[in-house]
Amino acid sequence: MVKAKALIKNPTGLHLRPAGILCKEALKYKSSVNFLFGNSRNNAKSVLSVLGACVKSGDEIEFICEGEDEEVALAAMLKAVADGLGE
Amino acid sequence: MFKGTSASAGIGIGKVAIVEDVQLVIKKETVANPQTELERFKAALMQSIKETGALAADLATRVGEKEAEILNGHLMLLSDPMLTGEIESTITNESVNSEYAIERTCNTYADMFASMGDELMQQRATDMRDIKTRMQKVLMGVESVDIASLPAGTIIVAKDLTPSMTAGINPQNVTGIVTELGGRTSHSAILARALEIPAVVAVADFLSHVKNGDQVVLDGSDGSVYVNPDSAVMGEYEAKRDAFLKEKKELEQYIGKPTVTRDGVHVELVANIGKPEDVDKVLQYDGEGVGLFRTEFLFMDRNAIPTEDEQFEAYKKVAVALNGKPVIIRTLDIGGDKEIPYMGLEKDENPFLGYRAVRFCLDRKEDVYKPQLRALLRASAFGNIKIMVPLVTCIDELRQVKAIIEELKAELDSCHVPYNKDIQVGIMVETAAASLIADIFAKEADFFSIGTNDLTQYTMSVDRGNDKVSYLYSPLNPAVLRSIKRVISCGREAGIMVGMCGEAASDPMMIPLLLAFGLNEFSMSASAILKSRKLITSYSTEELQAVADKAMSFATEKEVAQFMKEFVEQ
Repeated sequence: MVKAKALIKNPTGLHLRPAGILCKEALKYKSSVNFLFGNSRNNAKSVLSVLGACVKSGDEIEFICEGEDEEVALAAMLKAVADGLGE
Repeated sequence: MFKGTSASAGIGIGKVAIVEDVQLVIKKETVANPQTELERFKAALMQSIKETGALAADLATRVGEKEAEILNGHLMLLSDPMLTGEIESTITNESVNSEYAIERTCNTYADMFASMGDELMQQRATDMRDIKTRMQKVLMGVESVDIASLPAGTIIVAKDLTPSMTAGINPQNVTGIVTELGGRTSHSAILARALEIPAVVAVADFLSHVKNGDQVVLDGSDGSVYVNPDSAVMGEYEAKRDAFLKEKKELEQYIGKPTVTRDGVHVELVANIGKPEDVDKVLQYDGEGVGLFRTEFLFMDRNAIPTEDEQFEAYKKVAVALNGKPVIIRTLDIGGDKEIPYMGLEKDENPFLGYRAVRFCLDRKEDVYKPQLRALLRASAFGNIKIMVPLVTCIDELRQVKAIIEELKAELDSCHVPYNKDIQVGIMVETAAASLIADIFAKEADFFSIGTNDLTQYTMSVDRGNDKVSYLYSPLNPAVLRSIKRVISCGREAGIMVGMCGEAASDPMMIPLLLAFGLNEFSMSASAILKSRKLITSYSTEELQAVADKAMSFATEKEVAQFMKEFVEQ
């Protein structure tokens, strides 16, 4: 299991489109990709779960990846967030 | 008469077609074989995904990618493993029918989104209900209302229009839309504007006052709606509609035409924008560039200063979209009257005379100003960006900003980051002080842009928000006119461009005077561009000299306004 924190900086936070981009990225990996925000643990492969977390611009989340390609998956998630999730 | 929120301009006259989503009755039933039921659900899900995909593709080609975005969002939700997994486990664990499993699962999520209480999340609740109904209709074999085949001259009346309903609207046949719910930014309103169909939304309890076939007149500009109006009202609105369409057609002729006066003087007609997305409108109305890009939006509604990269992307986007046309970007113009909690600004006793705009930026060089200026320099490699400094009152301020820019240029050079080495740095002339020493500024600024809103406020010492004194707030006051005239002539003498980005630039009473004074650039909201081009091309600056001389000879605002009004009307 690997984990790392990421700052959400795209203007609308994890709303539908950015959430969709995040999920698409997560779905590329075999590992489970979850993130912690507040008290909730959310599945990054589910748009509904991501939306339900209600993450806004400026919030910090922590990714947790677990599985055979966990290192690659974590790096890819951090990059997707750093790139602004398409915004 | 009914009153709602105006959502899309224009007059709609036609016969009512009430579009109601069929009320599906969902019953909980026990199924004998959950495995077969699961297959039934999966088939319906596939069918729903197929239908939504087709609608999205159709909308994307017919209207635009942006309008199809909502339906693409539905596709993501329909393929969500959490949603389908929960529906499937409900079917297998409880041996219930698919319709019920969908109803319960989707409602749980819709309620969750609805309770989050932010507008975008409300939209997600609507999305959940929309995809729920779509899957249930497939399962139950219920046909959707066929909006695509409504007869010509139809006014659609509905409680609310779901994205899948609006997707089928044909603007040839639909002359207007009235809904009981929604707002200016709801999906149906945005689509109505994109399709240029007049629309009024949020008309309370409208459905209980109309039936199919009723004659309805609606004014999408002021939000009024009439049901079966008498012939007088009907006549009035037919005339209004014809005038609206005629003006629209007439103005469309000015798309692609140069902005040249009858005696051959070319001026630039550009737009004011607040967000990168506003560029669409600028191009639609044939703006010749951007005369004012307010950068405050980047800093609002968030918890931290936007990073240099984030700003760079926003500025670059506009520069690229304008494809070489000038883009004047104003550096951060905030102060004690605007709440940006993370900036640590204290409430100013006198916010308009206090710690704001360039004064604030020069005090916060490291964390605020340098990142913004660096982002602007980097973005200048992608288009014709010019930097504009707001609220300058003395030459030291401009010199300090230019010194920072030179320092940043050297930094970029050493890292081999591309930027426009000849980037222009100009000032917004909006204080009495800047106007009085415009001749001094003209030697060091690359351009002027007169901000008439603040210039009028500071020159007349009037707060336009205060009803008791707002009568003083008019650029037609002799004091303000003299100030404007002086700034323009100082700029012209020094050979720099002089523009204007306040509301006066699109005021029909001001335009003749500004042309006579020799203004080079008029910047206004995109929707005013074509009207102003029509006006400007009808004048000759030579003929206007006499008008301007006469206007400048009056002692009071009242006389100037009266004279200009008469001139404009004849």
